[in-house]
Amino acid sequence: MAKQSGGGRYFPCGHTRREFVWQMGGGFAGLALASLLEGDGFFSRVARADQPASGAGPLAPRPQQFPAKAKSVIFLMMNGGPSQVDTFDPKPALEKYAGQPLPEGKTYINSGGRKVGYLTPSFRPFRPGGQSGLMISDFFPKVREHADKLAVIRSCHTDSHAHGSALVAMNTGKTIIGRPSLGSWSVYGLGSENQNLPGYVVLLDKRGGPIGGQPNWSSGFMSAAYSGTLFRPIGDPILDLKGPDFIDPHAQREQLDLLARLNQEHLDQRPGGQELAARISNYELAYRMQSATPEAVDLGLESARTLEEYGVGKQPTDEFGRNCLIARRLVERGVRFVQLYSGGGHLEETWDAHASIETNHGQHAAEVDQPISALLTDLERRGLLEETLVVWGGEFGRMPFSEGKGEPGRNHNPYGFSMWLAGAGVKGGTAYGETDDFGFEAVVDRVHLHDLHATILHLLGLDHERLTYFHQGRNERLTDVYGHVVQGVLA
Amino acid sequence: MRVQIQRFKSSLSQWRLLAVGLLAYSLAPARAADEFKTAIAPILMNRCLECHNSSEKSGGLDLSTRQGLMAGGDTGPVLVPGKPDQSPLLDRVVDGEMPPPKLGKSQALGDDEAERLTDWIGQGADWPEKIKLDAFEVSTAKRGGRDWWSFQPIQRPAVPVVKNPGAGTIDAFVHAALEPQGWEPAPRADRAVLIRRLYFDLVGYPPSFDEIKQFSADESPLAYDRLVERLLASPAYGERWGRHWLDVARYAETSGYERDQEKPFAWKYRDWVIRAFNQDMPFDRFVKEQLAGDELAGQDESSVAGTGFLRLGTWNDEPNDPAEYKYERLEDMVHATSTAFLGLTVKCARCHDHKFDPIRQTDYYRVAAAFWAGPIEPGPRESLGGPKPEELSVSNVLGWTDLGREAPPLRLLVKGDVKRPGEVVEPGHLSLVPMLDRPLDPPAEGAKTTGRRRQLADWIVDPRNPLTARVWVNRIWHHHFGKGLVRSPDNFGFTGDKPTHPELLDWLASELVSSGWSTKQIHRLIVSSETYRQSSLHPRQAEYASQDAGNRLWWHVERRRLDAESLRDALLAADGNLDRATMGGPSFKPVISSDALEGLSMKDAAWTASPPEQQRRRSVYLYTKRGLLPPMAVAFDFMDTTLPCGQRDVTMVPPQALALLNNEFMHERSAGLAKLLMAQPGGLETRIDEAWRRTLGRSPTDQERAQAVEHVTKQRQHLTGLLAARKQRMESVEPVAGGLVLHLDSSKGLEQDSLGRVVRWGDLSGQGHNASQGAEVARPLVVNASEAGGLPLIRFDGKRTFLELGGQVLTGPSLSLFAVVRDRGQTTAHRTLFSNWNGAAGNSTSSIFLGTTAEATVRLSDDFTSSRPLTRGNGLFLLAAVAGAEETSIFQGSQLLVRKGGKLSPRRLDTLYVLGQQGNIQGEWWNGDLAEILVYGRELSETERLRVTAYLLARHHLAQAQEADPETLALASLCHVLLNTNEFLYLD
Repeated sequence: MAKQSGGGRYFPCGHTRREFVWQMGGGFAGLALASLLEGDGFFSRVARADQPASGAGPLAPRPQQFPAKAKSVIFLMMNGGPSQVDTFDPKPALEKYAGQPLPEGKTYINSGGRKVGYLTPSFRPFRPGGQSGLMISDFFPKVREHADKLAVIRSCHTDSHAHGSALVAMNTGKTIIGRPSLGSWSVYGLGSENQNLPGYVVLLDKRGGPIGGQPNWSSGFMSAAYSGTLFRPIGDPILDLKGPDFIDPHAQREQLDLLARLNQEHLDQRPGGQELAARISNYELAYRMQSATPEAVDLGLESARTLEEYGVGKQPTDEFGRNCLIARRLVERGVRFVQLYSGGGHLEETWDAHASIETNHGQHAAEVDQPISALLTDLERRGLLEETLVVWGGEFGRMPFSEGKGEPGRNHNPYGFSMWLAGAGVKGGTAYGETDDFGFEAVVDRVHLHDLHATILHLLGLDHERLTYFHQGRNERLTDVYGHVVQGVLA
Repeated sequence: MRVQIQRFKSSLSQWRLLAVGLLAYSLAPARAADEFKTAIAPILMNRCLECHNSSEKSGGLDLSTRQGLMAGGDTGPVLVPGKPDQSPLLDRVVDGEMPPPKLGKSQALGDDEAERLTDWIGQGADWPEKIKLDAFEVSTAKRGGRDWWSFQPIQRPAVPVVKNPGAGTIDAFVHAALEPQGWEPAPRADRAVLIRRLYFDLVGYPPSFDEIKQFSADESPLAYDRLVERLLASPAYGERWGRHWLDVARYAETSGYERDQEKPFAWKYRDWVIRAFNQDMPFDRFVKEQLAGDELAGQDESSVAGTGFLRLGTWNDEPNDPAEYKYERLEDMVHATSTAFLGLTVKCARCHDHKFDPIRQTDYYRVAAAFWAGPIEPGPRESLGGPKPEELSVSNVLGWTDLGREAPPLRLLVKGDVKRPGEVVEPGHLSLVPMLDRPLDPPAEGAKTTGRRRQLADWIVDPRNPLTARVWVNRIWHHHFGKGLVRSPDNFGFTGDKPTHPELLDWLASELVSSGWSTKQIHRLIVSSETYRQSSLHPRQAEYASQDAGNRLWWHVERRRLDAESLRDALLAADGNLDRATMGGPSFKPVISSDALEGLSMKDAAWTASPPEQQRRRSVYLYTKRGLLPPMAVAFDFMDTTLPCGQRDVTMVPPQALALLNNEFMHERSAGLAKLLMAQPGGLETRIDEAWRRTLGRSPTDQERAQAVEHVTKQRQHLTGLLAARKQRMESVEPVAGGLVLHLDSSKGLEQDSLGRVVRWGDLSGQGHNASQGAEVARPLVVNASEAGGLPLIRFDGKRTFLELGGQVLTGPSLSLFAVVRDRGQTTAHRTLFSNWNGAAGNSTSSIFLGTTAEATVRLSDDFTSSRPLTRGNGLFLLAAVAGAEETSIFQGSQLLVRKGGKLSPRRLDTLYVLGQQGNIQGEWWNGDLAEILVYGRELSETERLRVTAYLLARHHLAQAQEADPETLALASLCHVLLNTNEFLYLD
């Protein structure tokens, strides 16, 4: 229920907080809506230790299961599948094998039945970055300056070669739609620090949403309170934040006051109606969100220098720069989980470089390289990097061979690809795991997406085996019955 | 230390063994068997068998039989009879290694258990030959066995004798639990509460004020029953209860995943469900048609539509591994079937025996075999995972059938791994009801299908099946009370909840069967009970709540928040807009704001809202697209459509308040209601009274009326000032000048021929793009329209009239276009106002144009169609489009129709520009009028757009009437508040 606004004269309708609580049913402490439910057999018999105390709202902050540094996550989703051998997984051997086919015995599904060409080296050179000398290609020269902050996992693998199901898998753990997403699990486990903002925010690329849409940020079988909220970077960030023009703040305040009065009279006749009382407060919370959310995305409050660093106002960095800056503003305000999409819609509008790595990745990397670099700098400067986990990657990687002989594009590859983590609790300057000589499949210290999810939860202080949600007879987990924390990337 | 002590104990036991002698046991085999059963078997069953059983054999060890024990595991023998200290099994148990820790918690045996095992081994590990341990036989603290309550036969219980004289049968069961506590049920709710409760429960919308008044005044003892019968007979009953079933059936109308294709005729399943409820189709028949409507004698289009149940799951046309995906689809069907009808989580046995219920992995495959005979292989994409039209006996139905009378063998997958096929499993039933566990009959002579699904359905509806009737009456109870007798309506297994009143549940279940499976009969029994008619408030609320907060004793009726559909229907009913008459047929697509469309990968193409008249239909007819569920319904806990859902969440989150405060749908309702009130005679107080009656079904109290008067008065004053200031601003506003490349105004610069047709129309922008028409027959007429405030209109006839513009109007990709027009409808599918299309010049896919379509959507070049239709009407309206580098938007008046991220793809701009048709194609004629048009060669800012909009709206008198009237708006403000009240949102 958090704190009440100082501006509103009513709590929620002309009563002091104390009177209000008192009226809610003879001396029960706090607005414990949950006590009703928790006394009920259904809720008490099943393992609900991890359930929030719903009296304080489903997004009330909850303690970590064990001490960990990360309080927030910013997930930079490179929609479409960036090529690992052209970005974070250097494969000098490809120079040697260039023009040869992938050796027989290396089996794979040729996604979409596309043309199969020859092994093709990286389209841009790799260079060492930072003290660690972590190798990063010229697609990401600015991110490379942060090499010592990154733990690159070069041995990721996933369960689908198709965008739709691979995206859903990266977001929810399974290729089948209908499961809660990583962000949902995070806010389910930890709530959020700022009740005036959604706890789990998704910023899409203006070119479109990811293939599959809603299920990618859905709360699945969990309560809808844990689902992701889409933020528009311009205008009203969330749905229904403003009514028609003629309802100005003054008119709306009058409406809310009358509403509170009518609701209070209704409640007075229904002693003990906790859900009624909670909904009265809910309107005040919504009222505060109406000003808190636009403020959170108002980049007019940022300095010119900051805007310039993020590449706001310049192309091609403007959009992703804005989103990265909004992400920082959100985690600064206590939002638990922010996911940013780079690429939206289909094919070349995303990182799906079937036609040309150089053209496609050239465009998309140029859009995100400077903003990501600025985000890392900015988070560090503000001390936020110590408590924010930054995750970078796509739904899968790309093949080390070209799509057609002598062609400059690459097809989908779920067998081996790179993701990186940075920030809270992460061992920077690390390259973890290996793909084979060709960068085709993960072979050393393989990291399945379940492992990645387990690690992200771990960094948030959540045990992926203990973070369970009871649904239809089973204690469900993000990682199902799988997943190991990747110890090698932990600081 | 502990180990040493245990070892010491075990050596002691050995000595004891020597003293007592093995002989004693062998002399008394019966006693040995008893000892084993009571002392040892429970340990093995509780602690070991979960992993070491005949089907799982973890480490190669099977502890369900003596042979298994003696055979040992992968590492050799585990036990030497008589020699505890040489028995590795004991070592591992004593070391706490087995059973293995779970989630970091030791599962080690207690000393007592370890000691008993030690003794037993020491005494020779006697295990009577006949005894095969079956973990499923009896329930333990950790799992349910076949003796679990829900698997026992339904016995019609005797009705308890209770003191309360007014108690009916249901009440007797309830009172029987209350009376020993000395508790009384809550008093009967008053009539106004009861009629509202009955309406929402049985038909899903509120009663009118008059109906409430009439019912409240009706003293007849039959009044209540008559009301119940009237509602049960109403077609709206099927719409209400059909929706509950659609949740259980995971109903949606698209496939999900990337393409999220529509499942054609899914709505026929929805209509079948609604019809079934309205006709009170016996529940056994209801089950049979859904599982095997194609296999029943006398099957027809309707019964086959029932099999749509099996087609409603998500469907991925591009699975990673098609071989594996078949098994996902099996799981969907097994899960939907077992959840919906049996309240069991059979799917948990897909990879191994069920961890909590007596469901073997083979049971899962026995049931799955029923669906294996159908088109489970990923067929052609267009079949969406179902039979081809020629395989289904009827056409234009979403249905399911077998592909023949024989099906390929179905192999169990070891650990669910598609690469590890195990034994072939024959089709059959769950083994947990031994009495009904029999093999299936082979297909009948001449049958076209395997008959497996029909036999599965027969088994489900066998009156001796202990689950089906219980599960169904519990679902009915659940929707009447907000909670079930079993609080976990989809789970009657070990991890579910036990019934609050098991005998009542059984009594209702046996009533269901003996009434010929009549659902309406169960409704009658429930709603006529005093238990149902209780008030939500109890005189001793606080005291009772402190002892039974969960209301497991049903001492009052619980207050409920309206679900998403009832809320929407009630809102529509409030302003008299709810269309109750139009039943069935294809669903309507609700208006979804363009902001909410952001999440689609192909957003502009993906969603076209249905025409306004359809937006008034009941919520059960909302189109359910898995990739885009209606946001307002989702905010109010609409079901997740991927899994069966017998119980929706009821959450309390700020987006609900935001939606009710700000959503456009809400403002349409309050404005609509205000208009209705204004149309009535009487003063403000009369209108306020009527507002209360239409929203809350009662008259306001004096205090409320006074508050309302004060509110309306204050709002009116405020709005009068606000609107006057705005009007002044609007009237003084001039259009933006910068970047204006074309400005034609029908009151200026018109040159007409003798027949009043346009010869030339001078461009006021200073850019010289004058409009003209040399050919006489192609000249549009100038008409004077009084409604346009005396300004003339240029009328295009939709057949041959158009104007050519001089010079190249646009030079870059950004533009802003404003036109005051009338669209007289669909002479052609596409009607174009402004265009530079020129096929010969090669810009047929890269021209710039603005026009409308048959669906009343707006096209801005071939890139872009609005997702939301224009509000139709006969009058002039402002059509505006703004295209920039980052986004493109289309407006009707000041209202956004659609906004899309990204710029238009490159355009070829150097061809001839025309008004009134699609460039030079001599077609797609504009059929309507043009009063004024402004084109800017750049993207106007939001403020600039509003300025031009304001200028045009004021100049052409297009401001909406409601905006101009503070009186109505102030009343709307009050209505808005009333529609937001808890009294509106909750059901007592």
